[in-house]
Amino acid sequence: MRTIAVIPAYHEETRITPVIQSIRALVDAVVVVDDGSSDRTQEVAKQAGAIALRHRLNRGQGAALRTGTEAAIRLGADIIVHVDADGQHDPQMIPVLSEPLRAGEADVVFGSRFMGIDPTDMPKVRRMYFHLAKLFNIMVVGISKQITDPQSGARAMNRVAAQRIQFTQDRAAHCSEILRRVTQSDLRWKEVPVHVRYTEDTLKKGQSFFEAFKILWHLIIRGTK
Amino acid sequence: MPIQILLVVALLIALTMTWKRAKEGVIRAREAVLWSIVWIAAGVVIVLPETTSAVANLLGVGRGVDLVLYASVVVLFFLVFKLFTSLDRMDKQITDLVRKDALRDLDHQDETPTTNNQ
Repeated sequence: MRTIAVIPAYHEETRITPVIQSIRALVDAVVVVDDGSSDRTQEVAKQAGAIALRHRLNRGQGAALRTGTEAAIRLGADIIVHVDADGQHDPQMIPVLSEPLRAGEADVVFGSRFMGIDPTDMPKVRRMYFHLAKLFNIMVVGISKQITDPQSGARAMNRVAAQRIQFTQDRAAHCSEILRRVTQSDLRWKEVPVHVRYTEDTLKKGQSFFEAFKILWHLIIRGTK
Repeated sequence: MPIQILLVVALLIALTMTWKRAKEGVIRAREAVLWSIVWIAAGVVIVLPETTSAVANLLGVGRGVDLVLYASVVVLFFLVFKLFTSLDRMDKQITDLVRKDALRDLDHQDETPTTNNQ
């Protein structure tokens, strides 16, 4: 089975090389989507051995992920893994995420930070925030309450699922959007415990409740299910 | 009042322009009628401001000025919604375009070291 990792990257020229190098051995190909960075992210990614595409304009993480996923499908991927560019995701989660797909037990696998393995250096406030976000996601966005980590960015899916889930959220709301689409579809999904490292850099990027409202808003005006 | 004369003259010009354009075939007769109704209604309100109060009372609003205010809030709300949706559509189109452009690069990159080094 051909496994391709997709990494959306925005201004990551200083951080992306070790991420690509640590992942390359675990997958058949790495697709990096430089999301309109003004630094050398694309070049650096290419040098590190990735297939590096570039958005000419910054369109957001969700948009970059979808471009990368589309590229992976065209490159003949059987399994597509979404990875963060900033090293927040432990590369060892790739085999963990793709295992249920290989075994044919699931079509989509989500990595959860709240299934036994404690995140390293996750601030208390952040943890409380995630629990609040979870409640909110279940009640407002319509994500299955069996999901333990509704803000998870670590996920893997097989080719069929990747072709079926047409996520349209360009920015951070794609996380909740994918969860909603998958858990409301007849695709088989599974959560597996993963380990996430929190650093000062990664903490700067966060999600807001506002993003959840965006999903609802788009459901209303675009009418996409 | 001079302001009333000024506005009525402006509306008369608008009315003649509308029908001139209709004769030239720029706008359809049906559109010309619709616009004429708008101009004439505006003229009535200008010459006889009390009419707005009559309409307002009919709808259960105290004063004509209040009715105009309420109506403008509704119209503005509608316009902002339209603006939001068209912006959203534009956003989506830009993303689609940027994605197409990025994926075109894929064909040139097929033989990347990643696949060779496996």
